[in-house]
Amino acid sequence: MATSAPISRRRASADDPRVILEEQVGVFEPVPPFPPRTEREAEFYTLGDGEMFLNMGPQHPSTHGVLRVVVKINGEVVTDLDPVLGYLHRGVEKLCENSDYHQAICYLDPLEYVSALFCEWPAVMAFEKLMDVTVPRRAEYIRVLSGELLRIASHALFMGWMALDLGGLTPILWSFIERDEIVEMLGALTGARMLFNYYRIGGVNGDLNHEFMSRLGDWMTRATEQHDANVRLLNENEIFVRRMRDLGRVDRETALRMCMTGPNLRATGVPFDVRRSHPYSVYPELDFDIPTRDEGDCLARYLLRLDEVKQSLRIIDQCLNQMPDGPVMAKLPRLLRPRPGRAYAAVESPRGQYANYAISDGTDQPFRLRIHDPSFIHLQSVGLLMPGHLIADTMAVMASLDPIMGGVDK
Amino acid sequence: MTVVGRAWNRLSLPGKLFFTLAPLLLVTTIAVIAILVIFGQLIVDFLAANLPIVRFVVAVTAVLLMSVPTAFLIIYMEMKVIALMNLRLGPDRVGPYGSLLSVVHGLKVLMKEDFTPTGVDSIVFTLAPVVVYLASVMSLLVIPFAPGLFGQDLNVGLLYFFAVGGLSVVGLLMAGWSSFNKYSLLGGLRSAAQIISYEIPLTLSVVGVLILAGTMSLNQIVLDQRGSFLDWFAFKQPLGLLIFFIAATAEANRTPFDLTEADSEIVAGFATEYSGMRFGFFFFAEYVNVFIMSALIVSLFFGGWTAPFDWPWPVHIELNPGGLGIGLLILLAVAPVVGTLVLAAPFWVARSSMPAWQALIIGFVLLNLLIGLGLFALAFLGWEWVVGLFWFLGKTYGFVFTFVWMRGTLPRVRIDQLMGFAWKWLLPASLLNLFVTAGAVVVLGR
Repeated sequence: MATSAPISRRRASADDPRVILEEQVGVFEPVPPFPPRTEREAEFYTLGDGEMFLNMGPQHPSTHGVLRVVVKINGEVVTDLDPVLGYLHRGVEKLCENSDYHQAICYLDPLEYVSALFCEWPAVMAFEKLMDVTVPRRAEYIRVLSGELLRIASHALFMGWMALDLGGLTPILWSFIERDEIVEMLGALTGARMLFNYYRIGGVNGDLNHEFMSRLGDWMTRATEQHDANVRLLNENEIFVRRMRDLGRVDRETALRMCMTGPNLRATGVPFDVRRSHPYSVYPELDFDIPTRDEGDCLARYLLRLDEVKQSLRIIDQCLNQMPDGPVMAKLPRLLRPRPGRAYAAVESPRGQYANYAISDGTDQPFRLRIHDPSFIHLQSVGLLMPGHLIADTMAVMASLDPIMGGVDK
Repeated sequence: MTVVGRAWNRLSLPGKLFFTLAPLLLVTTIAVIAILVIFGQLIVDFLAANLPIVRFVVAVTAVLLMSVPTAFLIIYMEMKVIALMNLRLGPDRVGPYGSLLSVVHGLKVLMKEDFTPTGVDSIVFTLAPVVVYLASVMSLLVIPFAPGLFGQDLNVGLLYFFAVGGLSVVGLLMAGWSSFNKYSLLGGLRSAAQIISYEIPLTLSVVGVLILAGTMSLNQIVLDQRGSFLDWFAFKQPLGLLIFFIAATAEANRTPFDLTEADSEIVAGFATEYSGMRFGFFFFAEYVNVFIMSALIVSLFFGGWTAPFDWPWPVHIELNPGGLGIGLLILLAVAPVVGTLVLAAPFWVARSSMPAWQALIIGFVLLNLLIGLGLFALAFLGWEWVVGLFWFLGKTYGFVFTFVWMRGTLPRVRIDQLMGFAWKWLLPASLLNLFVTAGAVVVLGR
């Protein structure tokens, strides 16, 4: 048995970088593709003087899912890195092409699993544009209400993760209390805690119920207080601030060039928010600010998200005050066959602009559904932000960009 | 299968254990008694002739045995305290309030597979945890726990402490280098850089105390602080205390200086490839280190085993069991029964729904508590070393709690900030402290 050598040990030729690496440093090196597909790859997998590879992930404790980062280090300093994606690829876009319009929505939920409503939202908006459906105003308010609640939950999780990646144990458990209360109340509203499948084409799946309202009212009385308590844990901590300031700094032009959106872009001073710049739903009727910061470093990205939570609380308050009565679902035929055409819809998710582009060919299944995920877009800038920093900071930079690997790999 | 074999198979696990251990115990006891009868006089003579060596062996054994329950206690304390700070429940299943969980952890690491990965340098890999553990346990030898209760009263005690404590970095470096893992290598190198950098302010900050006390023996330093708490060196050396505390945190690899095992950066640092009891040695050594550092802070700056105020202790209670004669025997036979009944009665009367046996159990537990407290009070009043141990452990666990508290509160610093802080701030500050102290001693006298 087992007479043939395993494929990974097969020796191609003497100038195969795999062979050279094996002889130089050992068998557990990251195996570069051979022959190298690009010049960049050939350059990256050539070790300079005093450099070594460090393979972080896909099972590293703090890569936020299954991201693999091959880091080239000189001592503790990261000189270069190569993010490797695809460990969570499920072919969601292709799955959506083979299901009808209603079924497609629940495939989109697990993409950004900490803020799943924002994956459904652009899809239903795009489908509604294809079908010329008018959503009842009450349904729009419910969408905004639940969406902003989930934005707070997502930012709470970000706060905790940020601290955990810098070695603080306590904040994640404090902020999980906040997140868990929100997720439980959304569970009462939608029937699920994480993967909701709540927004439907033409409205939402069910009106506000008593349990949700009582939990929400209970929480709103102490939401600000709770948030401030969580914020006080870290915001003025000298160690935390010194580590985050000037770390992973990105200026306005670079951020725009790297197609950053959301809090990461606003932390560089660009007041771009899809809710204001390309208004959708009932956001034009609501009064809220777009917080911005000019520093563009990790601390700015962190603090900006904390400011956003306060704005979200304002929006929730207004939603509850202005919510009209009426139906929560438009009248729709049972089988949806939109006319052939194309539709694009974008929302402001907690991570940035989350957009869907749907093409219909007149059948009951979307011909194509393209998902634009901000986590994926933001990950392309890690190669720009990390080199020159220390190993400890790679995780802090990664956490401050707040990527969700479910959405990156689709 | 024979009759014996079938009978053996029918036994349950406790039965098998009993029938294995009981004969062994019997044989061992007989052998020990025989040896004592035959060679007893010889052994006593030999021990009397080599008393310092005997004392050393006994002290080493005691310290080695003491280190394990100390580690268990601190691990439990850390789990519970951090859980409460995190608004969690923490351990609450094994034992009262989950207090046996760390013991169960210890048993778990003992029973796990002793795994050696491919490619490691197996001799160095095996020796590394032993070196680390021994380095921490041997430091315990010079710490004065109470008057007369110490391993060795070396006149260079503090020097011995720093010398032996510095050995642990060799073990960490060995672990990091031999593991054949880049995370381990980074962890080992980080620990070498960190511990060597912080040894310097750690040692220099103590020199002020040495000048004031005029000796390096920890016993003498403690005795020098006798009196009220105003005589503690903490008030004469506040800067030294601060530097020593920060450097001790770094020496013990505790948050915010726990870079060697930073789980979010380099997985588990030097311990990445270790499992089973080898990992257990690292784990125990870390917590024994916490105890040692706390004990040293207490001994150097907070008066060690001395009471914080003039305690009116000389209450000498003469225990003379022979004088009580037959009365003592009757007391021993009757007192537990009567005490249990008396303590159980109120519960049984007040709660009519409570069965009598439950009330009796409560009464028995209360009686035991009372007797334990009474005995402790007697010992506290009667014996100086119990008082000393009480104050010493009280102060030490106060500092252990501080270390745990910092772990629950602070994030981790970065390696360049860590090194910069040691060389740019702590070292000049400790030198300043040294010069000011020396100048003051020259001008004002001790």
